Amino acid sequence: MSANKEGDGGWKSFLWNSERKEFLGRTGSSWFKIFLFYLIFYGCLAGIFIGTIQALLLTLSDYKPTYQDRVAPPGLSHTPRSEKFEISYNLNDPQTYVKYVKSISTFLDTYSDERQEEKAKFEDCGDVPRTYTERGDLDSENGVRMACRFKRSWLGECAGLANDDTYGFKTGEPCLIAKLNRIVNFRPRPPTSNASIPEAGMVRVQPNVIPIHCQNKREEDANKIGEIRYFGLGNGFPLQYYPYYGKLLHPQYLQPLVAIKFTNLTFNEELRLECKVYGANIDYSEKDRYQGRFDVKFTISNS
Amino acid sequence: MGYGRSDSYRVATTTEKDEKESPKKADTKAEKKIKDMDDLKKEVPLTEHKMSVEEVCQKYSTDIVQGLTNAKAAEYLARDGPNALTPPPTTPEWVKFCRQLFGGFSILLWTGAILCFLAYAIQAATEDEPAGDNLYLGIVLSAVVIITGCFSYFQEAKSSKIMESFKNMVPQQALVIREGEKMQINAEEVVAGDLVEVKGGDRIPADLRIVSSHGCKVDNSSLTGESEPQTRSPDCTHDNPLETRNVAFFSTNCVEGTARGIVVCTGDRTVMGRIATLTSGLESGKTPIAKEIEHFIHLITGVAVFLGITFFILAVCLGYTWLEAVIFLIGIIVANVPEGLLATVTVCLTLTAKRMARKNCLVKNLEAVETLGSTSTICSDKTGTLTQNRMTVAHMWFDNQIHEADTTEDQSGASFDKSSETWLALARVAALCNRAQFKAAQDQLPILKRDVAGDASESALLKCIELSCGSVKQMREKNKKVAEIPFNSTNKYQLSVHETENEEDNRYLLVMKGAPERILDRCSTILIQGKEQPMDEEMKDAFQNAYMELGGLGERVLGFCHLLMPEDQYPKGFAFDCDDVNFTTENLCFVGLMSMIDPPRAAVPDAVGKCRSAGIKVIMVTGDHPITAKAIAKGVGIISEGNETVEDIASRLNIPVSQVNPRDAKACVIHGTDLKDLSQEQMDDILRNHTEIVFARTSPQQKLIIVEGCQRQVRHTQTDGAIVAVTGDGVNDSPALKKADIGVAMGISGSDVSKQAADMILLDDNFASIVTGVEEGRLIFDNLKKSIAYTLTSNIPEITPFLFFILVNIPLPLGTITILCIDLGTDMVPAISLAYEAAESDIMKRQPRNPTRDKLVNERLISIAYGQIGMIQALGGFFSYFVILAENGFLPSLLVGIRLNWDDRSNNDLEDSYGQQWTYEQRKIVEYTCHTAFFVSIVVVQWADVIICKTRRNSVFQQGMRNKILIFGLFEETALAAFLSYTPGMDVALRMYPLKPSWWFCAFPYSFLIFVYDEIRKLILRRNPGGWVEKETYY
Repeated sequence: MSANKEGDGGWKSFLWNSERKEFLGRTGSSWFKIFLFYLIFYGCLAGIFIGTIQALLLTLSDYKPTYQDRVAPPGLSHTPRSEKFEISYNLNDPQTYVKYVKSISTFLDTYSDERQEEKAKFEDCGDVPRTYTERGDLDSENGVRMACRFKRSWLGECAGLANDDTYGFKTGEPCLIAKLNRIVNFRPRPPTSNASIPEAGMVRVQPNVIPIHCQNKREEDANKIGEIRYFGLGNGFPLQYYPYYGKLLHPQYLQPLVAIKFTNLTFNEELRLECKVYGANIDYSEKDRYQGRFDVKFTISNS
Repeated sequence: MGYGRSDSYRVATTTEKDEKESPKKADTKAEKKIKDMDDLKKEVPLTEHKMSVEEVCQKYSTDIVQGLTNAKAAEYLARDGPNALTPPPTTPEWVKFCRQLFGGFSILLWTGAILCFLAYAIQAATEDEPAGDNLYLGIVLSAVVIITGCFSYFQEAKSSKIMESFKNMVPQQALVIREGEKMQINAEEVVAGDLVEVKGGDRIPADLRIVSSHGCKVDNSSLTGESEPQTRSPDCTHDNPLETRNVAFFSTNCVEGTARGIVVCTGDRTVMGRIATLTSGLESGKTPIAKEIEHFIHLITGVAVFLGITFFILAVCLGYTWLEAVIFLIGIIVANVPEGLLATVTVCLTLTAKRMARKNCLVKNLEAVETLGSTSTICSDKTGTLTQNRMTVAHMWFDNQIHEADTTEDQSGASFDKSSETWLALARVAALCNRAQFKAAQDQLPILKRDVAGDASESALLKCIELSCGSVKQMREKNKKVAEIPFNSTNKYQLSVHETENEEDNRYLLVMKGAPERILDRCSTILIQGKEQPMDEEMKDAFQNAYMELGGLGERVLGFCHLLMPEDQYPKGFAFDCDDVNFTTENLCFVGLMSMIDPPRAAVPDAVGKCRSAGIKVIMVTGDHPITAKAIAKGVGIISEGNETVEDIASRLNIPVSQVNPRDAKACVIHGTDLKDLSQEQMDDILRNHTEIVFARTSPQQKLIIVEGCQRQVRHTQTDGAIVAVTGDGVNDSPALKKADIGVAMGISGSDVSKQAADMILLDDNFASIVTGVEEGRLIFDNLKKSIAYTLTSNIPEITPFLFFILVNIPLPLGTITILCIDLGTDMVPAISLAYEAAESDIMKRQPRNPTRDKLVNERLISIAYGQIGMIQALGGFFSYFVILAENGFLPSLLVGIRLNWDDRSNNDLEDSYGQQWTYEQRKIVEYTCHTAFFVSIVVVQWADVIICKTRRNSVFQQGMRNKILIFGLFEETALAAFLSYTPGMDVALRMYPLKPSWWFCAFPYSFLIFVYDEIRKLILRRNPGGWVEKETYY
């Protein structure tokens, strides 16, 4: 960089000055010294940095993150994922929906019965919604905690256990599997008042369940979405699956699922649907389209 | 440039030259221009002064009585154009503006902006939802350049406005005689051949060949620098047109008397016009700071391109697509652009310019602020710069003794014995035989500040007598003047006859003053201690010695004598006839000598001394006489005590000058006529081998040659020339002012042309102000280094996040917006505050910086800023980044490679290290919080950086924390960081989120580390001067 000392012809001698045995303006020993200096310098810096990171790790708990204010209230996510909030396919072309089907199958595989057989790790938490299952404090004292079984069959028509292995996609009655995002030590509370819940969803409000309800996002789609059916324990998120004890203490944990089947969507039209969960400590955000709700655009064409 | 006109001038005067040139007419324009410039550098080829009046009349077909005919005048006017100087080609405002917009540093930012737009265009063409970052960055970069461009444009416009106020807007009139009628016409309409009449107070409208004169004196100071008014008469007295008496020059002033002359040249063809054309034709080179900035840009570009290409290759190897890699390449190059630096440098220079303006140095061009600091040679004009520009009585000789008068501006000097009778007689002669008088209504002003009507020596006498003996006016009233013979060049004396003070004494008093030898010839007695004694040989010897001694001091000596006329021969009411002298002017009584000089300014010797200790060579270049010049040079220390010239050595050893080894003499006085015969090598030799040089009797063209010679001077066997400052006030100085690296014009006495040509103006005309300029210039150079070191350092913590984002696929630790917040927000005030930093050592005691070795930004500065401090800063930032992510659930081990999922909008259940699931927005908020924390960390580590940048060698504990602006800057940047983080709405506006208090402290250890590391480095630096640490890290 300090070239041009001798004009234009300087580049060559800057690169290698045979007279003074300089490569790029430095002699070999000069290069060696500066290289050694930076080697030691960066070595020390790396040491210091690793030291401070280790110190940081010492301050962290293994079981519970220091702050959870950004992850709670939980998001509501769905399988299959939408791309740019859109799920669109052609009934007549299996290629267009195979990725959705595959994604659901892969996801539901973890919920298959054979995976939940191990008695030491799984327990039955009942077939009806119950209150929270307390498994002790968030520490290593009680060791690894049991996980509640979640039967795939509870997802009914969307369980993919029957002959229909396309989760309704083939017939234009697609299923979405919804789940409330996992948060360590989070206990979702059922809604205290029914004010915010739409009338159509009121039927599914019951104790010990976080209800979910889907409807059209836009007024004009009201008559185009037809009947929506819900599957799952209590047609919502039952409380006995909470709280979650974290990856380390709760490695087998299965979060409760709700399958939503849209049975009569109008074809060849973009329909905007919104699903929301209702609870006292569930919140929604203008900016975050997946916090406590999600909306998805369905376009099913049949031509 | 009007070379066409110069041609026609040659047709008119030097025909033989034109013939020689004509075969070359086919030359290219460029060659002709060079030739033309060389031609202008030569002496004035005026010949009319050698012709008789008749020849001149014939040449211009004019008549000595009738003048031109109107028809002829109109014809000449049509041929030659108006009698006005072609104004120097003024740069249009928009060109000036563009120069600010696209000059120097701005180019770097423009390149950055264009690259940003390019990257955005690529993204827009290839992606559906392109990230706006590059677009915003491009817009911000352009905005920064435009705003700083406007700022410096207005800054310069302001100082040029001050310039314009100097301009004299009054149109000049001239009295011409055409067809036998006197008419007042606009000076612009005067043509060659016109018969012009000028009287005292007029400005000479064109170059005149004098045909008749009545006691006409002109002040040629603006042309030659000589302050003494000179007599004009019709006789040719010298071959050199500048020296001869029968030519009066355009735009000089007629001080007194009247004269008639034939116009020989008008407009650009006049001597003054040639100088002006020469000036505007000269190109001044780049300022040193502009060269430094260019070098800096080379370095920065080198680093940027090196990093960019390296990571481009890496990105391609890592499997990114070509397009992505190109965008990374652009991103990295742009990230290296220090956005805030242009503004910082501009503001720093402006602040210094303002500070200098307060100390009477008005800088016309911002970049010239630093030039004085790197100056190694100052060529100073004598009159008005080194001297007070007013004649003052310096010595007197009476009672056979030399008395010293007080010449200081504030009359603080020593006085002499005023009780002697002889002194009273001398004072009376000086007061009475004197036509100068104070202008009206100045009684409240101190005597020395009053304006006087009359020539310089008489004014000097008047002031001297008024100071020591009280009102001259009263003295004159008491001694009424009855007859007077004014000074003329044949008599060389002036006499007047007065009544005596004593009412009863009816004798008349004759008083006379003039050239001492002439006065002595007329005296038969001499007044000693108030008693008349016969003038014997001993007294004559004493007189000779005194005369020689005073003359040797470069002073102008006048002799005084008087005579009380015997009443019997000249009874009361005697009619004195001054034209046909009917009274005695012989056998007078010699009273004494008085000598005058334009004394040096009080502050100058000190200033010259400071320059010398600062390693700056001061050369005097003047149009004045060598003896006067040498005397003043000795007086102000340009020739220091004990140093001798060749001539001095010769006279001391009593050997011929030719036998003296020129190497023995450190000082030398060179006469303009000798200079003419010197070759370039001889000139270089003189400049190299003499430390103390005075050029006397130089012409404007020679000044230019001297400046060029100085610029050629090689210092310390480096390839670059010396940086030369030139001071001057006259038009004659302007070519040299323009050619110099920094031309310094005088604000009070300076001519418009000189101010136009200069880069800087001394508002108080005082050489001592230059020293202030040097000091400020050196300080700002040092402080700019610190400022740049500070600003560049934060570049590393700004680039590395992006590099790691590409290389190890972690969520982006620092975003574009936050980078801009640092560069254009928090870093600004601390960087500028470093301009206020006091010097670490006495900057006036060290040598001028060597432009080739001592760069503004060098490899060592980059090494320290980028390689060392910047790296620690980056670690500090990364540490806060990891802390925030870890405390939210993402441990460092999980982060590597997470980028694709992290930035996937459809992934709304991304798992962290605890098994929690995050939606896209949730984790983005954490990411932006990280950006904010990284930003705050940079602020924290920059605290330490600004403190270590305060000094380059000293410890902070030695330097102290007295820079209030810097302390303010520390608080300001912290407050700004807190404001950006905590103000509601910032999440939407700038994607900045509130931090938990503990996150502020993450970077503290690193801040401390920076401080300790650099203190240790500086300690080793001081302990081990010249050692490895200094060689590698002292910037």
